[in-house]
This record gives sequence, C-alpha cells and structure tokens, in this order.
Amino acid sequence: MRFRLFWLLAFVSVSLSLLLAQRRPRFEMLEDNPSPFPADGNEKTEFAFARLMYPSFSGGYWGWQGAWATDYPKADRQFMQGVRRLTRIHARSAEEVVDLESDKIFDWPWIYAVEVGHWELNDKQAAKLREYLLRGGFLMTDDFHGTIEWDVFLASLQRVFPDRPVEDIPNEDEIFHVLYDLDERFQVPGIRYFYSGRTYEQDGIEARWRGVYDDDRRLMVAICHNMDLGDAWEWADLPRYPERWASLAYRIGINYIIYAMTH
Amino acid sequence: MFEFLFSHPAAAFQKGEFVLLGPAPWWMLALSILAAAAGLGWLIWRRRSALAAGLKGWRPAAIWALQATLAALLLLLLWQPALQLSALKPQQNVIAVVVDDSRSMSIVDGGETRSAGAVTALEGGLLGSLSESFQVRLYRLGDRLERINGLDQLTADRQATRIGEGLREVVAEAGSVPIGAVLLMSDGADNSGGLDLKTLAEVRSRRIPVHTVGFGRERFEKDVEISAVELPDRSLADSRVAARVTFRQRGYAGSKARLTVRDGGRVLVSKDIELDSDGGQQTESLLFNAGSAGAKHLLVSIDPLEGEENPRNNTLSRLINVESAKPRVLYLEGEPRWEYKFIRRAMQKDRTVQLTSILRTTQNKIYRQGVASPDELKDGFPSDLKELFAYEGLILGSVEAGYLTPSQQQAVMEFVDRRGGGVLFLGGRAALADGGYKASLLAEILPVTLPEGKATFRRDRVGVRLAAGGRDSLITRLVENPEANEKRWSDLPQLADYEEAGSPKPGAMVLAELMSPNGRPMPLLVTQNFGHGRTAVFATGGSWRWQMQQDLADQTHEVFWQQLLRWLVTGTPGQVLSSTPRQVLADESRVPLAVRVRDKNFMPVLDARVEAKIMGPAGASGVAELSPDPKEPGIYIGEWQAGNAGGFVAEVVARRGEEEIGRDVLNFRREDGVAENFRAEQNRELLGNLASQTGGRYWKPDELARLPKEITYSEAGITVRETRDLWNMPAVFLALILLKAAEWFLRRRWGVV
Repeated sequence: MRFRLFWLLAFVSVSLSLLLAQRRPRFEMLEDNPSPFPADGNEKTEFAFARLMYPSFSGGYWGWQGAWATDYPKADRQFMQGVRRLTRIHARSAEEVVDLESDKIFDWPWIYAVEVGHWELNDKQAAKLREYLLRGGFLMTDDFHGTIEWDVFLASLQRVFPDRPVEDIPNEDEIFHVLYDLDERFQVPGIRYFYSGRTYEQDGIEARWRGVYDDDRRLMVAICHNMDLGDAWEWADLPRYPERWASLAYRIGINYIIYAMTH
Repeated sequence: MFEFLFSHPAAAFQKGEFVLLGPAPWWMLALSILAAAAGLGWLIWRRRSALAAGLKGWRPAAIWALQATLAALLLLLLWQPALQLSALKPQQNVIAVVVDDSRSMSIVDGGETRSAGAVTALEGGLLGSLSESFQVRLYRLGDRLERINGLDQLTADRQATRIGEGLREVVAEAGSVPIGAVLLMSDGADNSGGLDLKTLAEVRSRRIPVHTVGFGRERFEKDVEISAVELPDRSLADSRVAARVTFRQRGYAGSKARLTVRDGGRVLVSKDIELDSDGGQQTESLLFNAGSAGAKHLLVSIDPLEGEENPRNNTLSRLINVESAKPRVLYLEGEPRWEYKFIRRAMQKDRTVQLTSILRTTQNKIYRQGVASPDELKDGFPSDLKELFAYEGLILGSVEAGYLTPSQQQAVMEFVDRRGGGVLFLGGRAALADGGYKASLLAEILPVTLPEGKATFRRDRVGVRLAAGGRDSLITRLVENPEANEKRWSDLPQLADYEEAGSPKPGAMVLAELMSPNGRPMPLLVTQNFGHGRTAVFATGGSWRWQMQQDLADQTHEVFWQQLLRWLVTGTPGQVLSSTPRQVLADESRVPLAVRVRDKNFMPVLDARVEAKIMGPAGASGVAELSPDPKEPGIYIGEWQAGNAGGFVAEVVARRGEEEIGRDVLNFRREDGVAENFRAEQNRELLGNLASQTGGRYWKPDELARLPKEITYSEAGITVRETRDLWNMPAVFLALILLKAAEWFLRRRWGVV
C-alpha cells in the first residue's frame, strides 16, 4: 500500500513540475488549426495577441468544440507576423490565451474574442470584463454572423454594459484612420466561401463595424459582425484566398491594435 | 567702584588716548625700568649665599618680582601718565534723543509699556541731567523720524520702525546742527531688515556716537512666531502647492499645535504638529490644492497657544497667482506602447496641462494626437526653435536619440537651458542608454549619468518605493499623509518593465526607486534643475500597470502623471515675466518691479516698451513705465508706490513698435499694522552692535544715571581736548601699598623678617 502511495505521489509531483516548468500554458489539445510554435514565441514583448477564452453557450469552456479557440493558433501567429512586419509595435510571435477567471487579463490591455455568437458570460465574468474595459482594456470581437448569433452575443454583452448602447462606428472614427485609412471596407468572408460560394454566413449579408464607447467617446469594444477576419489571417498564406480580403483583415486588425494603444 | 578707583569713568579710558607728560621720552622709562629690575636682581643674586634658610628655591624670585613691579610703578608715576580725550563743550552741543514710537513699544513688559518705560526714564532725571550740559532735541521714530516738542507727543502707534532711516535723517541734521551724540531709546524691533552698512558708514563718518537704551524683554517666555513662509508666487489651476513654514517658539517644547493655510475664510489645509525644542527654528511642509484660477491671498497661521504673550505674530500672509494658462507638453514616442496610451488617458482628465503627441507607428509614419491645427507637427518633431518653444514641456519616450538630428538635439537643450522648459525622459527599449543617449548631446541635460553599454532595459516586473527625496515632493505625493504616502508607494503594483538609469548627477534628486530583482534599489524617478528649466528621468515604460492592475476607482496613476507633468511645466516662463521681491508689503509702500522680456526664440529683447497698468484698492490706478536695467539685457525695472493698504494687480504689457510681445499679471499687497507684530522681543544684538560700531554704548534703563557724564566723551559736535592726570588715581596708591604688603606678608610667612 505504501509503495503504491509513493508512486502515486511521485507521478503527481513530476506531472506538476512539468506543468509549472512551462512558461505559459499551452492549449495544444484545443488547437483548431495547429501551427508550429515560433522559435521566439516566449520573447518578452510589449504586445501579444491575447485570445480570450470564454465559456460557450450551453457548453462551458469546452462546449461547441471550444468556440473561443476557433482558428487558434494559426490565425493568431500569422496575424502577428504582419503586425511585426508592418508596424513598430514590439509584438510577440506567439499568442497569449487569457480567461476571465484570472486577473492575468489585466496584463493584456488588448484582447481578441472569436465566435462570440456562442459565448455566454456569467455575472462574475461580465463584471470582470466591464472592470477590464473601463480601466482601459480593449476588446475586439470577430467571426459571428447573422441575427441569432448577434442575439447570443448581445445577451452577454448587455451583462457587461447594461446601460451602454452598441453603435455603428462611423467612417470618420479614428479607429479607421489611426494607421490605414479604411473608408472603403467590405465584407471579408471566411474559408467557407470556398464551399458555399457566398461571402456571408447565415443571414449576415451585410458586414457591420460596431462598437461600445466609454464616457469620453473612446471605443472599448470593437465588434466585427458578419465577417471573418480571423479566417482571413489564418488563410492568408493560402494561394486561393484572395489577397484583397486578407489585406483588409490585416489592416483592420492593425488599426484596432494601434487604436487600442493610443486611445 | 570703577570710577572711585580710577577717578574717571570707563568710557574715558575707552575713548581717551594714554600719554606720558614727563619731559623724558618713553624709551628712557623703559630703560629705567629694566635697569631697576636688573639692579634688584643683581643685589639678590650677589647675596644669595647669605640669604636666610627660608628664602631658598623660587622664593627669592618672588621677592624680586614684587620689588621690581613696585619700582616700575614708581618710575611710571615719575613720567606723569595721563589721558587725553575729546569731550563735548558744555551748552554748545545738541543731544538728539530719539524715542521709538512704534506699536511694539506699546507691548507691556514688567507692568508698564515699553514706551512708558522710556518716558519714565527720561522724566526721572535723564532729560534734566542732559539739559544741564546740552541742548536736547526730542524725536519720535516710526517709519520716519519726526521732531517733537514734548514727551506727551509719544503715542507708540507708528506702524513700523526704521532705525536706519531715522539715523540717516539725524546725520543729515548734523550738517547744520552740532549734534554731539544720539540717544536711541528703542526695543530694537526694526522692520527694514536691519541696519545697512551704508547707514553705519554715514554715522561713523560724522563720528556721532549712538548710545542705545534697550526696552522690553529680550526673550518672551511663551511665544510662537512664524518667521517665514516659502511659497511659489505662481501655480497652475488645480495643482498641488507646497508651503514651507518656518517658525520658532519658546515655552511650548513638546506641545501640539495646529498649522493652517486659509484662503479667505476657507481652510485649504491643516496639520497638527509637535513643537521642537525651545528657541530653535522649526520648518514644516504643507501641501494643498491651489484651486481655481485667480489671485489668492493666503493666510498661514499657527493657532494661538494657551498663555501666549504675543499671538499677533502667529499669522503671515502670502499671495499666489493661480494662473489660467494651459501649458502644453509635447510627447515624442518612438513605438506604440501601453505607457503612451495610459499617459494620454491620465492627462485627458487634466483640465490644465494639454498633451500633444507624436507617435511613430511604422518606420515612416507618425500619428499625431492633441494637435491644435491640422498643420501642427505635420512634419514630425520640430526643427525650428520657435515651433519647439511654443511648448512648455517635452517628453521623450522610447525613441532613439539618433531619431533626432543634432540640431534638434541642440534645440532640446536650448529648450531647457534658455527657454526654461521641462524635459522628461522615459525608460523604454529605445530610451536612455539603450537608445544611445549616452553618446548624444542630450546626455548633458539628463539628471543621471547613464550606464555604459546597452541591454539596460528589461521586461521584468519590479516593485517600487518612495526614496528619501520624494517624501516632500509634490510629484510623488499620492495621498496627503506622509507615512500613508510612503506605504502607498510600497503597495503599488509592480511595474511592467524597467531600465537602469545609472547614477544621479550632483544636484539631482531621486524621488522614487525601483527594487531590482536582486534586491538592489535603483533610481526610478530622478529630477534636477538645469539652466532655466528642469529635467527628469522616469526609468520605466510600465507604470500603466498602476492603472490596469488597480480598482477602477483608484486614481493613483492619473494623480501621479498629472503631478509629474505639472511639475514639468510649472515655472516655464512666458515671453514676458514680471516679478517683485516684495509681494506682501508689511507697512511699506515702495514696490520694486522687474519684467523679463524675451522674443519667440527666448533671446532678450532690448528695445521693448514695457508698462504696468496697476489697479489697487478703492479704485486706485496708474501706469508705471519700466526702463531697461543697465545691468542685465532684456530686464526692465521700475517702481510703484502702493498708497493704500490692500491688494494690487499689475497687468504688464511689453511691446516692440506696434507689435505686442506678450503680457503678464503680477499681484502684490500692502498690509499695514503688521510689521510691528513680528520680532517684538528686544533686539539687544542690533542695539548693542549699533552702539559699539558708532562709539556709543548699550544701556539698560536702570544704568542711565551715569549716562549724562559718559555721553560727554564724543568727537562729534563742538568738542574740547582735555588732559587728565592718572598719577593721583586711588588705584595707584592702592597698588603701591598692596605690593609692599605682599612682600611683607611673604617674608613673615617664610620667617625671614
């Protein structure tokens, strides 16, 4: 009996040590589209692509194939290549996964949430996200489509900001001019376009750029609805994927980051 | 006793010249004394073998010394010693009796007022005695000298005491009247800052002795007096202001007192203090918010303590001009980073300091924020001095020194040195040593000597703490209480990164430190004055965590940055800067004005026309034309007489031809009936020095009986030269007897009589 207890303790210790030895938790099991971990992926940088891990509608963190991890991590890493090449931001090549259960989120003032048409935040998580955004954090949401997903998204967003409206971002807003002038925007479809032949999904025919502003008219939440910028980043290296879609997705993403770092 | 033994008063010996009236020269006296001493010595030596047994060892030498001294004294008397001195001719000289008639003379000391004490002394025989030998002229002294006909004209209500000016007027009268001496009856509480050398030189050139009679206690038993309040004369709206209050007290060591700053009836800040040891100076610092724009009349006071003898010296007033100006700070950042965003956010809440920024977003593109017009800074960091000098402060973030051309670096130096602006250097991966600043022109204006090499910037979390220099700083005061403030700093969230700043230069002050991972403290926030301006280093780009890691309601990050940038621009002058060394005139009317005029490049303007439109109380107004100061180019000086008590506002305008160079506002205030409340103890030092410097003497009131006799020894007025024999002094005969008696006593004691 004692012998078995010894091996059990040894196993637990070794497992814990291996787990703690890793600088950042990895979510290889949940990788939607695996990508090689960059050699400088652990570099200490000013900015990292912080992907929000959130509980999904009716499925917890891991429901519906882990909606938060869609396109992860290839989209993140491929987008960061663009950010590093096109801007002076000291950005890390690998992403950072953050969740609303931890205060670690406050170390990353820009976060990205994908497939938010499936998220479901509880009151505690909504309160933390509200605090995060009001302190100066910035949330970019992407890759959700149509009326049903909008309603799901809004249900949780309204827990975050019950009293703040979601507004269409006007063309003249600085977020569309902070680096690139993005007056000419169009719907950026995901990889499904190649199967469906449609640039839209569900009934999300028209791409909408919306947001939630703070009291000083600074955007806290930038909502990319009826488009799939994440797919555009993910498949930018696919010869079939049109350059103009990938290019716009990069420009929007970079503008959103620089806006978050200046406003 | 002295006069009985020496036949003449001590003053005669002090002022007289010792002479020998005998026909033989002095050297013969010296030779005779030596010969007598040698002869006596030879006699004793020759008979040494025959001396009695009791006269062995040193005893013959003692007998010789006594006999030689006796012989020397007798020989001296043969040469007829005497004193030669000047004395006032009776009935031909004037004694100027000057009585202090200021309010401090109304203070009751020992049962009667100081003024009454002076009157009693004069009426109690002094005036009569003086009148027997001299003409006596009576004067009363306040802020000027005034002749009076009788003591009943003394009222002890003059608002100030100017002893120097009074003496100058007496000296002026001595040109037409034979003034033999001045008798000054005062408590010495002079309000003009003491006696100047010029006045003393004038009195001494006339050889008029000033005899002083001191009234009042030299020390109060129980009193607190505020002696100085250091306060900036200008501030930005809603800024913290520091006041350093210096005071001294007697009789309350260890007691508690309350120090308060009021704006009118409103308490701005109040602090309980513990009083240090009796008699010593104590300084306390107070921080308060200057509030909205406008001229503020502040009263700094210590609440009167129980049993305090003079509570009127517990309050001092000061002026502060809270300016409505909105100074601008230019922030150059070399890369998008969170520090940039959160500094901008903190300053957006500041209604006074305006932040304009240039951010390098890509290699060849900049993003501007806070610009006043679409063209402002469109070409990036200014290359033109005028464009740069339009700002009051400058922040250089994570941007390589090489991004600025040598002429731009030179302009930044001129911005600090000549324009008087403030430059803040932030830490970052392209800042300080890592940004190549050590080898740049800008190394000279940095408050630190940067470390050698690069790789000094690290993205590691570090804690911070308040340094000793930051305890009283306006920048680092996050909460009012100093102890709580220190703890607040230690409790701040860790910084996201830090950079080794090197070592502070001489004269620089470390306000905050960071605790490096190996536990070694390193400078975090260092400030210094440089030229006309100031520079600082904040060796991190990670203070944004103070915002993101703390509760939304916490204002630490905002308060810190607002205070830091206010410090950066406070004191940065405009093109026209007016000043006066006397903003609060205590029972004075003369206001010296000085105006510094600079062009847009902040070079002195030599051909300006400068005038000050002054508005005072009760509708009083006027214009003062200022003229160039021959000593310093670009400075214009003038003077204004503040006729009435109250507040004055001077609007200063400088023009060149029709062009207006700039304008400024200056406040000053005349207060009457205040000066006499301070330094109300008898200033014996001043009275004693005045007497000794002029050949007079300091007297206590109970010694005045001898004054009429001593006052005659003077070289001023109409004098006669007198010779007074000294041979007949009782002291001489006493000495002769004592010398012989001593010898006899010793011989008896040794049994050799």
